[in-house]
Amino acid sequence: MRDFLQILLVGIGDGAVYAMLGLGLVVIYRSTGLLNFAQGEMAMFSTFIVWTMWSLGLPMWLAILGGMAGGFCVGALVHQVAVRPVGDPHEKPLAVVIVTIGLFLGLNGAAQLIWGTLDRSMPPLFGRGQVTVFGVAVAWQKIGAVIVLGVMVLLFYLLFQHTKLGLAMRAVASNSESASLVGIPVPRLLMLGWGLAAAVGTVAGVFIAPNLGLGTNLMQLTLIFGFAAITLGGFDSLVGAVVGGFVVGALSSVMPRYITIFEKMPLAPAFILILAVLLFRPEGLFGKKQVTRV
Amino acid sequence: MSATATTGASAHRSPGDWALKVAPWVVLFVILAIVPFQFPSFRVEQFCFWMTLAIAACGLNLLTGYNGQISVGHGALFGIGAYTTGILITEFGVPLFGATVASAVLCFATGILIGLPALRIKGLYLALVTLAVATLFPLLLEQFSAITGGSGGLQITSPQLYRGEMRERPIRLESPVAGLENDQWKYFVFLGITVVIFILSRNLIKSRVGRSLVAVRDNEVAAESSGIPVSQVKIVTFGLSAAIAGIGGSLFALDQGQLYPSSFTIVLSIYILVAVVVGGAASIIGPAIGAVFYGLFSDVIVQQMPDRIQPARAVILGVLLILLMLLAPGGIVGGFRTLQAKWSARRSSALNSGPDPIV
Repeated sequence: MRDFLQILLVGIGDGAVYAMLGLGLVVIYRSTGLLNFAQGEMAMFSTFIVWTMWSLGLPMWLAILGGMAGGFCVGALVHQVAVRPVGDPHEKPLAVVIVTIGLFLGLNGAAQLIWGTLDRSMPPLFGRGQVTVFGVAVAWQKIGAVIVLGVMVLLFYLLFQHTKLGLAMRAVASNSESASLVGIPVPRLLMLGWGLAAAVGTVAGVFIAPNLGLGTNLMQLTLIFGFAAITLGGFDSLVGAVVGGFVVGALSSVMPRYITIFEKMPLAPAFILILAVLLFRPEGLFGKKQVTRV
Repeated sequence: MSATATTGASAHRSPGDWALKVAPWVVLFVILAIVPFQFPSFRVEQFCFWMTLAIAACGLNLLTGYNGQISVGHGALFGIGAYTTGILITEFGVPLFGATVASAVLCFATGILIGLPALRIKGLYLALVTLAVATLFPLLLEQFSAITGGSGGLQITSPQLYRGEMRERPIRLESPVAGLENDQWKYFVFLGITVVIFILSRNLIKSRVGRSLVAVRDNEVAAESSGIPVSQVKIVTFGLSAAIAGIGGSLFALDQGQLYPSSFTIVLSIYILVAVVVGGAASIIGPAIGAVFYGLFSDVIVQQMPDRIQPARAVILGVLLILLMLLAPGGIVGGFRTLQAKWSARRSSALNSGPDPIV
């Protein structure tokens, strides 16, 4: 039992990070209606920016803010030059998929060009210490991840529910045509959404990098976990991303431990989850049901 | 797009036009036949790899280009074909190309299995699932290392006569023709298979079944109401597409002689997609042109660059993909067709312009 709790808590800590990546994916899905396959690479890229600033001697928190700002610019730029000109993702899914795949390749290659192919090491944000609760040891890093996620969700809540800007962003998400008719600068808000998503991804990257080592493959598995989280939660639900993240984190920590066939592939439960949800409940737990008119 | 081009040509068909149509193919085949004698062995080996990529891209094109089902996971099917071939030859002593046939059959079945959920999961979401498959596949190979050899790799061997006794030795394709080196023989065998697959795909697309593929892509409901069994078409297309990708993978296994999980990551799936998109989705020859483009780019041009800036390869390909989607979604073939249409429009207007038309 203690063993199980231990593994479960590790999973929940990981899940907080998947939820962070998921939040970014949801923001993009809600505003532009597309699944951003380059989200992981955007996060990897901005995590390298954090690493660079930190290794130049900046304090970690300042480096993270810098990385988030850098990520914001990358996300906004990507939207302006690559995503927006392609058009509506649900009319031309192939073109949009290919553009995000192109971004995936491009960002990955650019990171290799700039930072090389060797893994860098980054210190855990909350140190290597542990705290023992009811006989179960939990790393501060994991607790920190959950707290940071909580702060993020609170900020998102305040932004979307209590500011004019957030209201405008929600208007764009719910009906961009009507939004532009009442004078909302839709393209600028979409760009803002992409920037935000990328900035949030940075934080996810900062939490993962100490575990995996900061390399250009940093986010490729994590991206699938993030997608599993939002598939379960519902592609357009911020709450869903958080709940989904915790469930996916717990499943992919617990199942490989007890089911030998998953031993070397914690990704498998997440994959099965994606498949099952899309087949039987495509709107996820909290998502809006999509109705297609013929 | 092709419809307008062909009607334009058939409007005034003459022997000259026919020759114009056949001549490029004759030239192409002459070039393909000469090539292995003009290049050193390592280049010929690379050409063989390009052909396996072209085959996989041909399979993906049927599915994504013609049928509109997006797959970002064909690298995994390619990998299943490769590993099936490797395991059948090494563990069960199946003859080399017998293993290729078996791989195609197994991949067909796998494709059908993936095609079933794909009936409900469409567009972006299908792309997501296939992306997850592509990411999962190398881990799967590690998990089942007992049969795949895991990250240590799978050495494909077969019992061969060596110094008077039968021993397990690495497979090789030996040339039965005097005057043809082994790699040249392999080149021609691969070329034969590639050409057959492309011709079969062309015939399929030009047939009733092919038209129903396109109809399903363009408008599922309309296709259904004109009596096309949409579900059947989609599932079988997935199976065929997977089988073709599997043949590509099988040839890759015969070509390499050893397999590692690191060859079958998401990046492979992306490169197969690159070949389709750059060459021209929904054109028969497009994927072959795309594969040659990819080969020339990454095996010839990139190798000229200093080591330090070789990752630029991915940057250039990524930027190219985005630019293509923005400027020329039809890829090389699409761009060529547009030029051709413009040219023939100008020619026919020149032919028809006796007296100036009254406006």
